[in-house]
Formats: sequence, C-alpha cells, structure tokens
Amino acid sequence: MRHVRGFDVARPLSIGMLVFMMLPLVFLPLASIFIFGTSNGLGNFWAALTAPEAIFALKLSMATSFWATLFNVLFGLFAAYVLSRYNFLGRNALIVTISLPTAIPTAVAGFALLLLWGPYGTLGRFLRPQGIQIMFTAGAIILANIFVTFPLAFGVIKPVFDTMSRSLEEASATIGATRVQTFWHVTLPSLRGAIVSGALLTFARAVGEFGSTILVSGNLAGRTQTAPLYIFAKFNEGQIEAANAIAIVLALFSFLIFSVLFFARDWLDVD
Amino acid sequence: MAQVARMMKQSVTPDFKESVSQTAASVVGVSKFFGKTVVLENISFDVAEGEALVLLGASGSGKTTILRIIAGLEQPYTGKIMLHGKDVTELPARERGVGVIFQSYALFPKMTVEKNIGYGLRIRKRSRKQIKQTVNELLSLVQLEEHRKKYPSQLSGGQQQRVAIARTLAYKPEVLLFDEPFGALDAQTRVHLRREIRALLRKVNVPAIFITHDQEEALELGDRIAVIRLGHIDQIGTPSEVYNNPATEYVATFLGAANILEGTIHNGHVEVGSVQIPARIDVAKFSEGQSVKLIFRPEDVSVSKTQTLPSGHACLLSGIVEEISFVGAYERLRIRLDPGGSAACDAGDTPYYLTTETPESQTAKPIIATRPKPESMATKLRQGDRVFIGLTSFTILPSDSRASPGPDSSK
Repeated sequence: MRHVRGFDVARPLSIGMLVFMMLPLVFLPLASIFIFGTSNGLGNFWAALTAPEAIFALKLSMATSFWATLFNVLFGLFAAYVLSRYNFLGRNALIVTISLPTAIPTAVAGFALLLLWGPYGTLGRFLRPQGIQIMFTAGAIILANIFVTFPLAFGVIKPVFDTMSRSLEEASATIGATRVQTFWHVTLPSLRGAIVSGALLTFARAVGEFGSTILVSGNLAGRTQTAPLYIFAKFNEGQIEAANAIAIVLALFSFLIFSVLFFARDWLDVD
Repeated sequence: MAQVARMMKQSVTPDFKESVSQTAASVVGVSKFFGKTVVLENISFDVAEGEALVLLGASGSGKTTILRIIAGLEQPYTGKIMLHGKDVTELPARERGVGVIFQSYALFPKMTVEKNIGYGLRIRKRSRKQIKQTVNELLSLVQLEEHRKKYPSQLSGGQQQRVAIARTLAYKPEVLLFDEPFGALDAQTRVHLRREIRALLRKVNVPAIFITHDQEEALELGDRIAVIRLGHIDQIGTPSEVYNNPATEYVATFLGAANILEGTIHNGHVEVGSVQIPARIDVAKFSEGQSVKLIFRPEDVSVSKTQTLPSGHACLLSGIVEEISFVGAYERLRIRLDPGGSAACDAGDTPYYLTTETPESQTAKPIIATRPKPESMATKLRQGDRVFIGLTSFTILPSDSRASPGPDSSK
C-alpha cells in the first residue's frame, strides 16, 4: 500500500472495513427495528406501545428485573466479601458454583426451576397443599432472573474486593471504627463503581431474559408476560407492529445502559 | 478540640524528656507462633511517655508482628500489652486507641484530606463544630491547610504521611506506631521527612514506636533502639549504647560496619593472635582461656605511620595498607595485619603486650579503617604502606554471643 506523506492509507481502509463488516451483523438488524416500527406512522407506533398489555409487559419486566438486581447485588456483595476475606475448604468450589448459572442454557435453568418449584416438583409438591404456588407467577420470573444473572454482580465486585488493600480496613479499625462503620465508610465507597456497573449489567441482562422466563412464567398476557415474551407472542400472532414497538423500547433501553457503563467508566472507577 | 489543645499545651514543655519516667506502653513477655515457627519469643520492653522507640531488625525478624500485636491487629500466644497501665491484650483494635501509620499510609481514597483527618471523631459521634475545630488545628499542625479539599491520590508521599499522622492524632492516641514509615520514599525525602516527624513528635509529645530495617534511620529517630533478631530482642538501649557497646555480634554488624577479630582471654587480657590487649572488661564475666570476639568500628581504628599512637589508644598491631578508597565524607582503608605481630608501638600510657607464641592465622585477616578528611589530608597513605594500628574503643564479647544476649538487654 502506498504511503503518502503524513497519510496512512491503511487507516481509513481498515476502519471502513470494520464498519462494513458490522453493517449486516449489527447495524442493519438494529436499524430495521426502527424502520419497520415507524413505517406505518408514529401514530400507529404510539398506539402499539400504549396498548394495556404492552404497558403491563414492560412494567412487569422492569419490576421483576429490579427485584432480581437488588437481590443479586446484595448477594454479590456479601458473597464477594466472604470469599475474598476468608479462606476455607471448598472456597474455590463455591466460586465456581456461583459462576455456573451463566454457563447453563437459560432454557435448562427455567426447566430446573420448574422441576424444583413446579406443582409436582421436588419442593413444590409440599407447597401445593398449603396453597402456595410459586411457578407461573411474577415470583417465578424473579427467581428465574436471579438464577440467570446470579454471578454478574458478584463477578464485577469480587475483583475490587480482592485488590482492595487490607490495611484500609485495618486502619479504620485502629482509628476506632466498628466493622459495620468500616464497611459503610471505607469499604463501600471503594466499591461504588463496581456496585453500579454490576447492577446495570444484571438489570440489562434480566430485562432481556427470555429462555427461562417463558418456561416458568406461563406466558399469560397481562399477568405473567414480560416484554420479551410479549414480543414473541405478538410475532406469533402476526402482530408485527405490536412486537416491533416493544422491541424498539428494549433496544433503546439496553443501548442506554451500555452507554452509561461505557461513558461513565471514569466516574464509576473514580479513585 | 480539647485533645489537641492539650497536646499543644504539652508541646510548650521545654524538655520532653522530663516525663520519661512514666511508662506509656509496655510489652510484657509476648510470644507468637505461626504454626510451629517461632515468630516472637518472650519479647518485653517499655516505652516511656514522649519517648520514641525504634524496633530495628531485618525483614522476617518479627518486628512488624510486634507492632500488629500492640495495635490489636494480631493476638499474641502468651504475654500482654499494657497501655498507660491498663491491660489491653483482650481488647479489639478499635478499643485500644492506638495510632498506626501504615507503610502505605492507608488513607481512605474516597475521602478528602479533612474527611480523613476527621474520621476518628466522626465515628465517635463528636459534634460537627468540634470536628471542624480539631481538623483545623491538625491541618495547621501538619501544615496542610491549603490541601484540605484534596484527595490522597493528589498528594505527595510526604504529605500523605502527614495526613496519616494527623488522622491518628485527632483521637489522641495512647501511642503512635509507625510501620516502616519511610520505606516507600526516595533517599532524600526520607532524610528530610524523618527530621520533620521527629520534630512533630516532640511537639505533640505522644510516645512512638517505629519499625525499620534501616540502621541510620534508627539511630536518628530513636530515643532508644531495640535490635530484633529472629523474634528476640538482642539489645535495647540508647543509640549510642547500642552503637558503641553492642551486646551481640549481630547488633554490632547490623548497626554499621564492624571489624571482628577472634581471641582468647589470657591473664585478664584479650589475646588476639600474638598481641595482648589490655581489656577494660570485667574479667569475672569471662573465664581464663575463653574464646572471645574483639569488635571495633572502622572509625575506632587509628592509623599511624610511626610507632607513636595518640595517647589512650590501645595498640593492636602493624599492617600493610591493601586498598584505599574514597567514600565521600571519609577515606576507607583495608589493612592486612602482619601475621607475626612484630610491631611494638609506643602508645603513650597504654601498655601493650606481645607474646612470642606462634601467630595465628587470625591476625592475617584484613580490617577496615576509616579516616576523616582532615586526617587523611594530613597523613597521606598509599597502597603498600606499613602502618601501626591502634584502637580508640572496642567491645569484647564471648564467641558464642549468639546464644546469650548481652548484659544490657534487660533494660
């Protein structure tokens, strides 16, 4: 390739090639959501978006993802604290087990939950006579979300714990702080970035969860139908516009979360 | 605020040594094992009010463990820790009121300088006004007023260290513990900072324990030095005691350079090879014929071209200058002693003795001498010159001094 003075030909060519390769793989699929969704006019789009079932599905997704995220961040904090502060037999086994759920196909995860909590499941059969039904409720969706996003927050928080100097906590103790005060004033502020990014990752993943949710929720419109399930259902019914409207919302939403994660990196890791 | 005010008042005391008699902290018979490894064995010492004690030892000597046990970050197996007469062995770190300045300073990265300094008072639920006042006083004490809003990462190493000190002074610690305080700094800053800290400590009159492996630092910082080796205190005493009268060979060699010659006790004298040196020692401590070590510092060696040595110098031997090196502040000579002990020097009123026995190989080993500039200018020496050697002072220790600590170690 010719090298003109001060101008590297390889540069625009390689950038162009990169964009060209991503075009059919990423850009065009995303673009088509927006093109199709609004092709019949914004009025139709808005009507599809504000249909009661659609609103319900979005709300349900947000709510179940929120509770799953809250649980997994708190659990991730606790697990990271225990696993980086104490050394014990079986510690590595626990770390692997916590990380396992991401490696399991989501359909398998949903199936496993059904086998445990379902009306005839290992535990569910004892709950049924009590009138307690966990599967096919919003609770089941939260359980599924917790399961599939289990290690995400933990995975972000634990490395920060590992690299955090013990002497900070020791200093706090010698100054006179209790463990709780030390955790609140010293440990937690250093984890802020990890907690926020762990939460965003978990939430984004939970909102999009499909495979396990469709098994455990029962997919009842207006009752246990989350946004991804709504898209799937409407598509099967041939209501492409309805599906498309929600698809746009979910796409924008994940775009927003990853923008925050990417552009707020400096703020998140601020020292 | 009252605490700092009290500290300031104490600082007016002209001579801080007046209060030395009062014990601020005691370590009593502390032992510690990690598994079967003995880390500390029966360590005991006191720190007086306002005193700076330096624990000097190589890495792995157990000095950091002593510090952590005093702070309550580790538990001893036996023994106890007393702070101002109170047994705190069973107390957790947070209830001991000890100030630890960590090697890394351990400043809280997400807090500003003033938040760091006020931390101890905030968790003690002091009033906002009181915290503000104390923080202001401490900021001016450590001269960091203009950096109050900065984060630790924006400060230099020395500034961070001052924040760390101020942070502990805020709650008026019983004792300050410095863990290798200058380890992370370059040589120049180190010298500057340790003088600064020494001055600051005199001002606030808080007893301090320093940990270091740097003998120069120990000599300059400490009112007293405890030399730690393999979990033992080999010797504890003032810098001049430890330097001039080392209790063990280890102490002698760890604190500066030392020449060591082997000899035996004979008729109340030390016999090194064929030379007898009149020993100013308590002969009762040694038995006739016991093998001993004669230890002297390079600067205790006086070198003369003639047989006349300044009065008061014990004449040792004659030797040949093997090597002369210029080390900046002084000149260093390597002198190989004559094997025969043929020299007879006229050393004023100090008698010397020569035996006619066969010389031992000991005397053929080289010794190191240093001479200050004026002297090396006045009497120029060259390689190969024959010189007469005298000693201004020396220490005699039993050859198995490793096993028995010197008589001073009980202090």
